Amino acid sequence: MQLRTRIALTFSILLTVALGTALAVVSLATQDIKERTVAHEVGNFGTAFQALLEANRRELTEAAHSVTDDFAVKQQIAVRDSATLASTLDNSVCRIARANLSTGAAPYPPCEAALAQSRIDGVLSVLTTLNGTVMASYGSALEPGQPFPHLAEILASKQPQSAFIVENGRLYQIVIVDVRSPLRVAWLIMGFELGAKTIAELRKNSLLDVTLRTVMPDGRTQVRSTLPDGAGRTQRPAVYPIALSGSATMELSPTGMLLEEATKPFDELRNQLAWLAVLSLLATAAAGFWLARNITKPLENLTRAVAHIRAGRYDTEVTVERHDELGTLAEGLQLMQAEVHDRDQRIRRLAYQDAVTGLMNRTAFVECVTAALADRRGPVAVVLFNLQRFRRINEHLGYEVGDAVLRQVAERLTGAPGREDGGVVAVARLGADEFAAMTALGSAADAERWGMRLLGRLSDPVVVDAQPIDISATAGAAVAPTDSEDAEQLLVCADLALQSARGEKRSFALYRASLKPATRDQLSLLGELTQAIARDELKLHFQPQIELATGRVAGAEVLMRWQHPQRGLLGPLAFIPFAEQTGFIRRLTQWVLDHAIAQAADWYRRGVSLPIAVNISADDLADMQLDLRVAAALQQHGLPPNLLTLEVTESGFIDNPARALKMLETLATLGVRLSIDDFGTGYSSLSHLARMPVDEVKIDRSFVIGLEADAEFATVVRSAIEMGHNLGLKVVAEGIETETSAQRLRAMHCDIAQGYLYAQPMPGAAIEQWLRDPRRIPLAVAPIPTPAQMPTSTATATLLRSRSSR
Amino acid sequence: MRSSRTPAWTLALLGALACNEARAAHVTVEVKTANGTAAAAAIVVIDAVDASAAPGHDKAVVDQVNKQFDPQINVVRTGSTIVFPNHDQIHHQVYSFSDAKRFELDLHAGSRNASEVFDKPGLVVLGCNIHDRMLAFVAVVDSPYFMKLPATGSGEFDLPPGHYTVSAWHPDLGVVAKQPLTVESQDSRVSLTLRTSADFDPVAAWPE
Repeated sequence: MQLRTRIALTFSILLTVALGTALAVVSLATQDIKERTVAHEVGNFGTAFQALLEANRRELTEAAHSVTDDFAVKQQIAVRDSATLASTLDNSVCRIARANLSTGAAPYPPCEAALAQSRIDGVLSVLTTLNGTVMASYGSALEPGQPFPHLAEILASKQPQSAFIVENGRLYQIVIVDVRSPLRVAWLIMGFELGAKTIAELRKNSLLDVTLRTVMPDGRTQVRSTLPDGAGRTQRPAVYPIALSGSATMELSPTGMLLEEATKPFDELRNQLAWLAVLSLLATAAAGFWLARNITKPLENLTRAVAHIRAGRYDTEVTVERHDELGTLAEGLQLMQAEVHDRDQRIRRLAYQDAVTGLMNRTAFVECVTAALADRRGPVAVVLFNLQRFRRINEHLGYEVGDAVLRQVAERLTGAPGREDGGVVAVARLGADEFAAMTALGSAADAERWGMRLLGRLSDPVVVDAQPIDISATAGAAVAPTDSEDAEQLLVCADLALQSARGEKRSFALYRASLKPATRDQLSLLGELTQAIARDELKLHFQPQIELATGRVAGAEVLMRWQHPQRGLLGPLAFIPFAEQTGFIRRLTQWVLDHAIAQAADWYRRGVSLPIAVNISADDLADMQLDLRVAAALQQHGLPPNLLTLEVTESGFIDNPARALKMLETLATLGVRLSIDDFGTGYSSLSHLARMPVDEVKIDRSFVIGLEADAEFATVVRSAIEMGHNLGLKVVAEGIETETSAQRLRAMHCDIAQGYLYAQPMPGAAIEQWLRDPRRIPLAVAPIPTPAQMPTSTATATLLRSRSSR
Repeated sequence: MRSSRTPAWTLALLGALACNEARAAHVTVEVKTANGTAAAAAIVVIDAVDASAAPGHDKAVVDQVNKQFDPQINVVRTGSTIVFPNHDQIHHQVYSFSDAKRFELDLHAGSRNASEVFDKPGLVVLGCNIHDRMLAFVAVVDSPYFMKLPATGSGEFDLPPGHYTVSAWHPDLGVVAKQPLTVESQDSRVSLTLRTSADFDPVAAWPE
């Protein structure tokens, strides 16, 4: 039930109960007062009736004495003169009748007429002997000599002087007086009839109806009543009986007028109260409803406001213009809303904002992308940036500078071209040196252009405290809905593209579907790689390198293959970038060094002196134990160091160039040949290169592939070759697939070539076979000293000794 | 007491002798009320069983003093004359509606010495017409042996031996109906106790 209804109902019920009680009380009081009034009237009646009886008694007694004191009467009694006595009684009755004449009657009417005109219903007068024999009578059928039947009854009654008897069918109030001459000789009984006149007289002076019930000697009941005949007679419930004698009863019934008079004011009061009840009930219901509404309406408003706040909308105006509790509540709610809003924003900031740059954090960015995807307005591109040297900045220049760099990067990204340019919509910092940007694109094809442009904004050095700091970023981009329609997935795609770019030594890469399987498998890849070593699933392939000038075999690059139990033979791109990311690359490199050196040593012992080139990753170069591991492998398998070339990428010098250089120098003292891989893609300065103890550079395949079509590439390649030669290095070109490329490279005086044109990478047994082919130009390998004669092997042993003694 | 010592036959002999000599004996009649006190003013009448008494011609006086008859209880022999003087300063009337004597003396004042002869036995009730409270009784008896007892409640009669009846009456104290009484030569003593009741009617109870 609604509060409003309940309040109104409660009010109404309370009032109903109160008014009902009041009405009941008034009704009871009315009933009570009615009974009291009637009782009072009955009391009054009784008093009046007693007065009448007393008056009658006196009159009767006086009249009787006037007879009994008459000496003549005594004489008549003495002589039993009944006739005379009867006339004497007649005479006395006449006197009474005349004494009680109604006003307006004739002055001296005859006896019977006088009686008829008097107030008296009738008179009984009987003179008896002491033993009750009638001597004379009036008003009765009793004859002289007959017994008077009531004498004993009268004398036995408590008040013989005022008793009631029923004689000759009439009720009499009688008195009894003795006749003394001088002793008692006779009784005179005198009585007035209680009849119609009497009760009419009584009725006239009261508000009670009078009914006389007289039981006749024959058992019949005679009723005389002032009650009107008819139905009304039975509707008078209250009867107040007055016992007159054993056989006569007088009953009093309140008249309708009496009842009306008695209860009239109270009935009016009750009616007024009833009206008042109805009116006040209506008023209360209305007031209750109004009051309830006054309370519940603001409550409803507040409830609505609370619902809004709960839904996260904090702009609800909580309007309850009141100065009571509800107003306070509303005010409190308004304040609470503001505080919750503030807190919410603060939490939101903490949850969604990067503290250093003020950019969105990952969570916020994902939400933002999700929202953009939900709009489905068009392609959405996400670009991830990775600052390549950020760790070094933090380490060398301190975190304050690092933070300043991050802030400037953030500023540059946020200041990127706007939407109309297909610009940035959202920029976020996802991790330590990782940023992300999102934009809406006209078409998916614009993604690369946009990504490159953003990247371009990061190419200039950042200036912190007037100090220019070089930052270089790698970027990967993914486009929705082409690559994924899910924000998280889109980020993963962009990340894959980023990794791919890093893996390919490029600054930018777009996501492509081929990256996807790896994505799917990455979770299990690490475990599988571990198992791959244990299960001997990894294979070494060798790709021959040809001396361009002579066509002789100059060596072979060792490449890894993974004979995956489910996916078949996998190339290095399928797992090497992942291994580099996870640090697993060191174990892989160790495995390759062991097996490749073992293979080369085996060949060497069998007279095949094939120099091998093993790839060393940047992570390996950072390994302080690398020189030891290489020396130990050489020593273990007995391979002359000059048959081993370690190919190092330029990226290996980026993080800690000095340390890398030192490692290279150590390795060089071992007698191992060193080669710069992917030459031309890196950013290392030429000055570094000049100081490196390397023997050759390896021009990246991307230059070689473009060599045929693009004149610019040819210039770059030529310059690279010339530079290598100028530094006294041999120049190796890889990825040669056509004779044209080979001729051009030859024309550019490139020293060594490697590619499908000459041979695919092949297992050890296969290259052994391949080398035995008589068409193959013999190996151009320097005379091979025996291990015992090799000074380099002495150097290796010395290194091993000195390092193990530390 | 003496007789208790004398043999019965001796007493019978003596009685026979006395009867024969017709010598009067001394009889004491003692009347008590129902509660044992002396019945003063009670009237005792002794009737001879077989002898018819001659009427007497006595004279008696019933005075009227202080609106009272005096005496109020009287007993006279049949044929006696009663004089009704009036010693009050007011008028009195005297009447009787009794069967034994019905008369009226008109209003009179002073000692007019009006008298009436009561020649019929019976109880006569006297009243005064104008003073209802005045009341007197006159017992008219045939027997010569009667007495209104003194305050002692006993009286003595000299009676010849013979058979009698004895009765006692008092208008307020009650009555003793006739009882046989045999008188012999010796003195004797009779005790009577009045009986009364709540509705004692002295007129109706008159024993004679």
